[in-house]
Amino acid sequence: MAVLVMDNGAYSAKVGYSTAVSPKIIPNCITKARNVRTRIFIGDQIEDCKDLSGLFYILPSQKGYLVNWEVEHQIWDHVFGKECMKVDFDNTGLIFTEPYFNFASIQESLNEIFFEEYGFQYIYRTNPAFLSQYKHQKSLSEKHLCSLVVDSGYSFSHIVPYHNGKKIKSATKRTNVGGKILTNHLKEIISYRQLMVMDETYVINQMKEDVCYVSTQFQKDMDIARKKGADNTVTCDYVLPDYTHIKRGYAKTREESTGKAKGSEQIIRMNNERFAVPEILFHPSDVGIQEMGISEAISYVVKLAPEEMQPHLLRNIVLTGGNCMLPGFKDRVYQDVRSLTPADYEVNVTQPNNPITFSWEGGAALAQDPQFKKMVVTKAEFEEHGQEICEEKFDV
Amino acid sequence: MQPDMRLDRLKDINSRRVLDEAARRRRLRKALEALESDNFQDDPHADLKMSKRAPKFEESMDDKMPKKKRKSKSDVYKFRFKKNFASLLEEEHNTEEPNYFSAQVPPSQFPERHFCAVCGSPSNYKCVPCGARYCCVRCLGTHQDTRCLKWTA
Repeated sequence: MAVLVMDNGAYSAKVGYSTAVSPKIIPNCITKARNVRTRIFIGDQIEDCKDLSGLFYILPSQKGYLVNWEVEHQIWDHVFGKECMKVDFDNTGLIFTEPYFNFASIQESLNEIFFEEYGFQYIYRTNPAFLSQYKHQKSLSEKHLCSLVVDSGYSFSHIVPYHNGKKIKSATKRTNVGGKILTNHLKEIISYRQLMVMDETYVINQMKEDVCYVSTQFQKDMDIARKKGADNTVTCDYVLPDYTHIKRGYAKTREESTGKAKGSEQIIRMNNERFAVPEILFHPSDVGIQEMGISEAISYVVKLAPEEMQPHLLRNIVLTGGNCMLPGFKDRVYQDVRSLTPADYEVNVTQPNNPITFSWEGGAALAQDPQFKKMVVTKAEFEEHGQEICEEKFDV
Repeated sequence: MQPDMRLDRLKDINSRRVLDEAARRRRLRKALEALESDNFQDDPHADLKMSKRAPKFEESMDDKMPKKKRKSKSDVYKFRFKKNFASLLEEEHNTEEPNYFSAQVPPSQFPERHFCAVCGSPSNYKCVPCGARYCCVRCLGTHQDTRCLKWTA
């Protein structure tokens, strides 16, 4: 029986059979293009669209939780259908991820939809962090009982401590800053300082991924950014796509970055925005959100855990989620956590090669586990016992 | 010269108002809500008359017209699973800890840092009428020429 692993995030869904090497990453949204009025683009159909300027997004998730079922249903129809995964529901089981502290009504709706609407043979619902720490345990040479998973994504970042495969629910904490806030903030400051880009979420998101980085020495970088001319190593020119000649935006090299545009290209001059925007992840108070940043939250969570576990948690910090792909993220987390913990504790931060697909890979590995068959809820069990059996078996 | 300058200053005092604390907090809240929004622009297909067969995707979940025909699949989703985020949060108040609310991190222990609204470098000063931050007199000039109190909140 095939097992379909689906890491359903607010921004993208990573989906694939457990036998595959890597998942297909599909944007979890419906987009409307400005100039194409005949159709809408579901999920990865956006690759068919030639003009990606002024894209209008319809996201089924709000603040990270599944709210708009109509939209999500259409996306899943496309993903499970013949254009994507070609799922044969009578012979397939599903591993599905959902956010931490998911609301009861959403959980019940998920069960109903997967069993009654689609008809999977069995399902297993869990958090992405569980799959990440499962995969992390497999890759370690010696057995570590505890790990601390940092899942920093589009809508929020969670710090989840795990002990023996079970998450410590009372110590799991959430910061409401994610990639969405970074992109929106970048759009605002560019719209004020240079060029009106408030409509261009897709383009600015690409630019953020290309050009932004996390700095380990914020004050010094700010001073460097204030210098002029060749002393300023931070400045960078970014060429915006116009979808006629330039299909995708790109950053110019340092020698070519003069601030003057060649021909008809549109340029955005990036200076301290390059590292000031990702700084919001670590200091949400920079934009007025009164919460702790990621590194402070890590230290806070560790202090909430039982005392014997604290050194073990600090020794096994795993970074997952899209925001970890920013250059310098891992070093910054290590530096901050190191400075906030006493010197006699050992601090170890690991980041997998691909933080986005890491929990999917955990799901694929879990499907091979001999214990897996006992953890799932089958269709027959659901029809017999109803919602209660899912509440018992799944630890969300 | 004297009478002209006095008139100018009188005009300045009368036309320049100063935002009070409540107005500044309202502005901040609006800015934070804007940070959470999905789209800045309106639906580009809003005025399009789609064929009756194609399912309609509305960004909000209110129906424009009441549906009278038989219940199709999409109707089931609209009526049975229709809950927006605010009502989910209300329900969550009844569950016991640890829940969504207790999982929220507390405010930061470190002091807030402020950045110039014009250039982005660390700022030490606030604009007197509207409260926006600036780093140097040149940035203050830019701010007052372009954005100071230009739209009311």
